Amino acid sequence: MFQWRRGAMLMVALGCIAVMVSAASSSARTDAVPSWCGPKKITLGLTDGFGGNSWRLVTTASARDEAAKCPSVKSLSYADGQGNTQKAISDIQGMVAKGVNALVVFPDAGKAILPALTSAYKAGVVTVPYRVTPGGKAGVNYNVFVDTPFVNAGVDWGKWILQVLPKGGNVLMLSGPQGNSQGLEENKGLHRVLDPTHKYKFIGAQPFEVTNWDPSLTQKVLSADIAKYPKIDVIVSDFGPSLVGALPEFTKSGRTIPALATSDGNVLGCFWQKNHAKNPTFKLFTVSTQNDHARLAIDWAVALATGGKKPATTHFPALTFENSITGKPHPVECRPNLPGDIYLSAELPAAVQAKLVKK
Amino acid sequence: MSQLVASSSVTRGTLLTMLPFASALAIAGLGQTLVVMQGGIDLSIAGGLSLYVVIVTKYPAGVNGRLWPAIGIAVGAAIVAGLLNGFLIGRMRLNPIVATLGTNALLFGAVLWYSAGIPTTTTARLSKVGGGLWLGIPIPVYIAVVATAFVTVVVKLTAAGRRFEGVGANATSAFTAGIQVRRYAGGAYVWAQLLYCLAGIVHASIVNQPTAYEGNNYLLPSVAAVVLGGTSLLGGRGNLIATAVAALFLSQLDQFVLALGVSYASRTLVQAGALAVGVAIYTIDWRGIARRAFPRRAATLAPT
Repeated sequence: MFQWRRGAMLMVALGCIAVMVSAASSSARTDAVPSWCGPKKITLGLTDGFGGNSWRLVTTASARDEAAKCPSVKSLSYADGQGNTQKAISDIQGMVAKGVNALVVFPDAGKAILPALTSAYKAGVVTVPYRVTPGGKAGVNYNVFVDTPFVNAGVDWGKWILQVLPKGGNVLMLSGPQGNSQGLEENKGLHRVLDPTHKYKFIGAQPFEVTNWDPSLTQKVLSADIAKYPKIDVIVSDFGPSLVGALPEFTKSGRTIPALATSDGNVLGCFWQKNHAKNPTFKLFTVSTQNDHARLAIDWAVALATGGKKPATTHFPALTFENSITGKPHPVECRPNLPGDIYLSAELPAAVQAKLVKK
Repeated sequence: MSQLVASSSVTRGTLLTMLPFASALAIAGLGQTLVVMQGGIDLSIAGGLSLYVVIVTKYPAGVNGRLWPAIGIAVGAAIVAGLLNGFLIGRMRLNPIVATLGTNALLFGAVLWYSAGIPTTTTARLSKVGGGLWLGIPIPVYIAVVATAFVTVVVKLTAAGRRFEGVGANATSAFTAGIQVRRYAGGAYVWAQLLYCLAGIVHASIVNQPTAYEGNNYLLPSVAAVVLGGTSLLGGRGNLIATAVAALFLSQLDQFVLALGVSYASRTLVQAGALAVGVAIYTIDWRGIARRAFPRRAATLAPT
């Protein structure tokens, strides 16, 4: 009996050593291959609910760049739903019919996409939705949902507002379409930080002014608010570049541009550099616009399909990017010789993005 | 009205924002009026205007020197689109709704092909036009006034313009009078596209980073401006100046409901209500309704 147990322990120990040796040798052999890339050869699909803006273009290119790091991914096909839910659904079905092994989906239409995701998952395709919640459950409707806590962006903006306006002030928040979950979550984070101080007043429509992330509507909304509120101390927006056309409204009304807590974009950085000297109240803080969120989704899909190591988390973190006061983590960045529609917070190099956007 | 209910909607800053948008809508409305005067309707304004915005922003890609060539290309595209519409409707006698819907799809195809749906920032020189003031009034206002005056003079004071109105009012009698009806009916679409092109350039100059789908914001408002301006959708005489004024009214209405500070849902309702009232004033036969509701005079006239 005793001997048997000893033998078993020896076997386990030997097994462990064998695993460690093989792991070491494999990592030595394929040095550049990331841990999430397993040995099984796969084809990968990527579908977008709406691909028609520079943010999506850079995000898709980031996804391709990430997939290219893994030699087991033989091919990547992409489909753009063009804002049409019907097409987005048939794109997913088309990918399954094509026989992709793994599918990464940006489910813009939310729950409307869930049945298509579920049938892809049931057909044995590794299905990974990301960024917009499709409802449903991991392990039932899809393999894993790679989300990002939008509430944290609101918390980061709130903390910065505490620093820049320690005495309190009027806060105006702008977001996309009425009731969009991103805006609601960010608003929650903002309230969580600012409300306990009782020094900040939220002005304009609540929870946020509806702009549909459309530059011309943003311009109209902001000018109406400027006329209505003689004192706006800070603007919070989750799409910084769309404000560039609207901020000059302050100058037209003979006021200075207030502090701005938002997301990054080259055009916005350049606008700040041009205007901050004339507008002493114009301080800027940005969170990353998170093009690299797609990378984490690709990592998950490839890891599950190829038998690689699963990433440590399903949450893509909210990352702060520029701070015009402290210069940390970065001072405000502007590349005047590159197009305005690129995102310097992304991992994809600025020059590569510029080529994409100009194509 | 705006002053009474939401005074912040008529402050100088708000007016300076509203007026350029109103100017672009007025110019687009003029184009739509010309088409409606021929008894047609132009749904391709959405695709057309989007295409011209994309061309004048994407082609120069921030370089001021390339702005004029870009405008040239946009005008060329406008003529092609207008000729296509004119051919389908004027010559092939297709239904205007169907024909312009088809052209609209083609134009949006061109938008996606050229821009891949990606917006480009307006060149500095162009945005100076949209954001600039002359004698305290935004430059787009002057452009709209000149465009309105020009089109009005051509339509109301020249022989060709009078014939154009005649064709719209009654194509058969115009034909018997020896007027080339098809040429006038089709020509309206070409002039309309050229005016959309001008509206697109003005719009691109106002919005610093226009999306690839800006024309969608003009489809319904342009028709609304025509109807509010009192031009009959059945064709005939058109009131061009009234269209421009209606465009101003619609834009101010937009700004007014924003200034009311009500929720997004009620904002849309207020807009729809104001529009319905505005259109009803012109289009409903109030006298007829009054006659039917109070038929006293008619009763006394009836033989007994």
